[in-house]
Amino acid sequence: MQKQLAITSCPHIRSRKTTQRIMQDVCIALAPAGIAGIVFFGARAAAIIAVSVITCVLTELVYEKMMGQRVTIGDWSAVVTGLLLAYNIPATAPLWIPMVGGVIAILLVKMLFGGIGSNFMNPALTARAVLFVSWGGIMGSYPVTRFMEQTADGLSGATPLAELARVFAGQATLAEGTGLWDLFIGNCPGVLGETCKLAILLGGVWLILRDVADWKIPVSMIGTVFVLYLLTSGFNFGLSLREVLSGGLLLGAFFMATDYATSPQSNLGRVIFGVGCGLIVFVIRAYANYPEGCSFAILFMNVVTPLIDRYTMPKCFGEVKQHG
Amino acid sequence: MAEPQKKSFLPVFLNGLITENPTFTLMLGMCPTLGVTTAAMNGVAMGLATTFVLVFSNLIISLLRNIIPDKVRIPAYIVVIASFVTMIDLFMQAFLPELRAVLGTYIQLIVVNCIIFARAESFAAKNPPLASLADGLGMGLGFTCSITLLAAVREIFGSGTCFGLQVMPAGYQPMAIMNMVPGGFITLGVLMILVNVIKRVAARRSEERKEEKLA
Amino acid sequence: MFAKRMFPGGIHPHEGRNGKKVNRANPIQELPAPQRLIVPLAQHIGAPAKAVVAKGDRVLMGQMIGEPGGFVSAAVHAPCSGRVADITLCKNFAGAEVPCIIIENDFKDEWVELHPAQRPETLTADEMRTIIRNAGIVGMGGATFPTPVKLTIAKDKTFEKLVINGAECEPYLTADHRLMLEKPGAIIDGIQLLMHAFGVSEALVGVEENKEDAIQALRDAARGVEGISIRPLPVRYPQGGEKQLIYALTRRVVPAGALPIETGCVVLNVGTVFAIHEAVRQGMPLIHRITTVGGLVNNPGNYLVRIGTPVRALLNACGGIQPHVRTMISGGPMMGTAFTDVDIPVTKGCSGILALDKSAIDVDESACIRCGRCLRACPMHLQPAQMDRLIRAERFDEVDKLGVLNCIECGACTYVCPAKRLLTQSFRAGKRIVNIRRKKVRDREAAERAAEEAKKQQAPADGKGKEE
Repeated sequence: MQKQLAITSCPHIRSRKTTQRIMQDVCIALAPAGIAGIVFFGARAAAIIAVSVITCVLTELVYEKMMGQRVTIGDWSAVVTGLLLAYNIPATAPLWIPMVGGVIAILLVKMLFGGIGSNFMNPALTARAVLFVSWGGIMGSYPVTRFMEQTADGLSGATPLAELARVFAGQATLAEGTGLWDLFIGNCPGVLGETCKLAILLGGVWLILRDVADWKIPVSMIGTVFVLYLLTSGFNFGLSLREVLSGGLLLGAFFMATDYATSPQSNLGRVIFGVGCGLIVFVIRAYANYPEGCSFAILFMNVVTPLIDRYTMPKCFGEVKQHG
Repeated sequence: MAEPQKKSFLPVFLNGLITENPTFTLMLGMCPTLGVTTAAMNGVAMGLATTFVLVFSNLIISLLRNIIPDKVRIPAYIVVIASFVTMIDLFMQAFLPELRAVLGTYIQLIVVNCIIFARAESFAAKNPPLASLADGLGMGLGFTCSITLLAAVREIFGSGTCFGLQVMPAGYQPMAIMNMVPGGFITLGVLMILVNVIKRVAARRSEERKEEKLA
Repeated sequence: MFAKRMFPGGIHPHEGRNGKKVNRANPIQELPAPQRLIVPLAQHIGAPAKAVVAKGDRVLMGQMIGEPGGFVSAAVHAPCSGRVADITLCKNFAGAEVPCIIIENDFKDEWVELHPAQRPETLTADEMRTIIRNAGIVGMGGATFPTPVKLTIAKDKTFEKLVINGAECEPYLTADHRLMLEKPGAIIDGIQLLMHAFGVSEALVGVEENKEDAIQALRDAARGVEGISIRPLPVRYPQGGEKQLIYALTRRVVPAGALPIETGCVVLNVGTVFAIHEAVRQGMPLIHRITTVGGLVNNPGNYLVRIGTPVRALLNACGGIQPHVRTMISGGPMMGTAFTDVDIPVTKGCSGILALDKSAIDVDESACIRCGRCLRACPMHLQPAQMDRLIRAERFDEVDKLGVLNCIECGACTYVCPAKRLLTQSFRAGKRIVNIRRKKVRDREAAERAAEEAKKQQAPADGKGKEE
């Protein structure tokens, strides 16, 4: 009876949550947005998602094999990166775009810095930024959905954000732009995974319910954008709501700003991070040249994360009283 | 460099070219390294110009090393270096005006390039003229090679060409970020990783060979 | 939050088969003493006891067979009557060989003459400490710190509140729960005796609110008694940690690196209080304890076990362990010790014997994903992931600065870690090394001071010499 007993260090029970389960939960949470993308933009969207995911997983596998490291593709984190990257690409992009992006995300941003948990910027977002800066023409032209009035080249003239920028500047009225319902269900131009806010919210709720993502980051980030627009637009509630529902804000807030490795760990740090992201999104959208600033905002705050962590880490229980 | 006087010409030269390569090992002179390396030709020109200044400033400073008072050595170095920079700048304006236009102010900025300062301070000021000349040549060519390599990679991805010749297939869409500063940083980082990996492998090989000999 | 009496951090660990839900309903059964009892002389923190019997001696039940080996030490008593078969080295749960007195049971259970306290209500603090010391009572929650030492209050400290730990926050364990349910009167009596002896006017009993029946039983027993209040606490591990319990019940924070008495509180486990009650009222030394047997055993239960009973006897009483058991634990699953030899005896601090399956051992460490779960789980507000990283990088100065010595090794961070990193193990190693390094620094400073002192004394002498 004793021969099979093993000695291990305590604790002798462990929570059922594993890295793999967390990543699988993120994949499940991302599924509705992907399905919505395929519904609105057609089979092409599915191809981009597939290529992106396969490239990311393969890149990680090949790198780890080459370097003689333990293969970690089983933790599903490369799949998450692949999905997020694909969701940030317009459905009209050629298939080499997700391929190049996948290699950049996994090889350059993740593996070269030491793999999962060691990257200092969000891999998918960094890859998107590189693609966006390199091939602005491809990455910056958004197709119309299958349910919208078709244009000759399939591309849309103005994105909801561009419309809203004009409203914000007082050059147009809200009534001329995309309807609130269309914005919410995703019947508007944009990259393939960001348009359907309903799907993203479903996924976000799943993440929070499954204790995968901390609600503090998305809530503080979206809240900041909303409040800042309210304040600067003379309490134009419709405009502020549409700003929240436009562009990549929801996708970024729920899925990319909450990336563990690149966001602060403490509660206070997370709120600061979220508010910082929201502030930069607002500044870029309202006053800068780019129509959308969500990815740059998150990337910037990624870089600031170690600093936030440094100043917001909790004080040892009992230490406070000693000094006070 | 404990006893540099005893060093012969070749090791000093190779030191600059490989062991203490200014770009990949010492990480000096990052400003032109990132600033002008968008085309391979720029790299060559920038590198050679720097080499010229480096070789002659090293030589002169080495010759004057016992005359220059310690307290004013920096201004003295600057005077020497600036003279050669002015010479190469005027030379380029006269004979290579197009290249000069591309490299622009980076040529004048050679005056404050830290490679040149570092070598003047840490080598030329302590070593005889011939060794300083070899050091300048090694360091200069090491710099030239590395920034040309960097520039070639950036040109290939950023424009699809190398030294102006089309190398990428016709349908290639240039990767614009490679022509920007972030592209320079990324390429530099990746090349640095590769150089370090190669160096480490080479070191391991030579150690293995030594062990074999011993066995 | 304040109303809920929360401490910061903490977790809700899950339980496998035959956990609290099953075992809480199993009344305490007395386990008959086996043929041979192995009584270790070191069952507590501090110096081991010194054997006062020799091989071949006849001993009576309750007779002192080991006297305290120092101030921080505890006496050991014979758990049955019989003959001393041997005094030899035997393994304990931690795997170390310790001197043990092996007693051959004669099954007569002949008691030594017991001396209950004459007037229990008028005992002085010193008398109380002597009784507790003679009874060999140690912290029964598992820490096994000698209780009389804990009750020795330094002159500059005040003892205002007695905090009684009935939280039993470890999963699986139900021994304290059953004790509170079955002997509430004895526990309340023990508390009253302590309050009288030490002149303490307030006692707070913290019980996790999932033990409603125990709370009710204690409240009924304490009805009409002044100064004792039974406080339900939220179910959260490690609610039973001294510092956490004090904070939850009194809002007082034990300063980092200090003892709980700094806050005017002394924390005792309900099991300890019960043992004190028995020692005072019946003059009975600590020769048995209540131990939970849980997990993958056929008939889990709570047993009143004689100290020195081999685990094998306990398991046999429970119908044996199931075939897929891969690890045996003494204590709770969060802080207990794994052991392999079932001939190891039950000791004073053994609150449970658990049989667990492979999910406990088949864990594969992977890279930290910086999720911050450990940060939120740590009841001491430390930075587990960061400390682990620095310990593995051997950067011990920084580890010390992050306060690794404040780690209570509760295992909450390791429990929640999705990358399954062995954080607690890392901290144990880290604490050891940091302590060694601190000692080295202290020694060096002391040596330097001594050298300087010597110089100073010499210098004036030299100066005088010159003047002359």
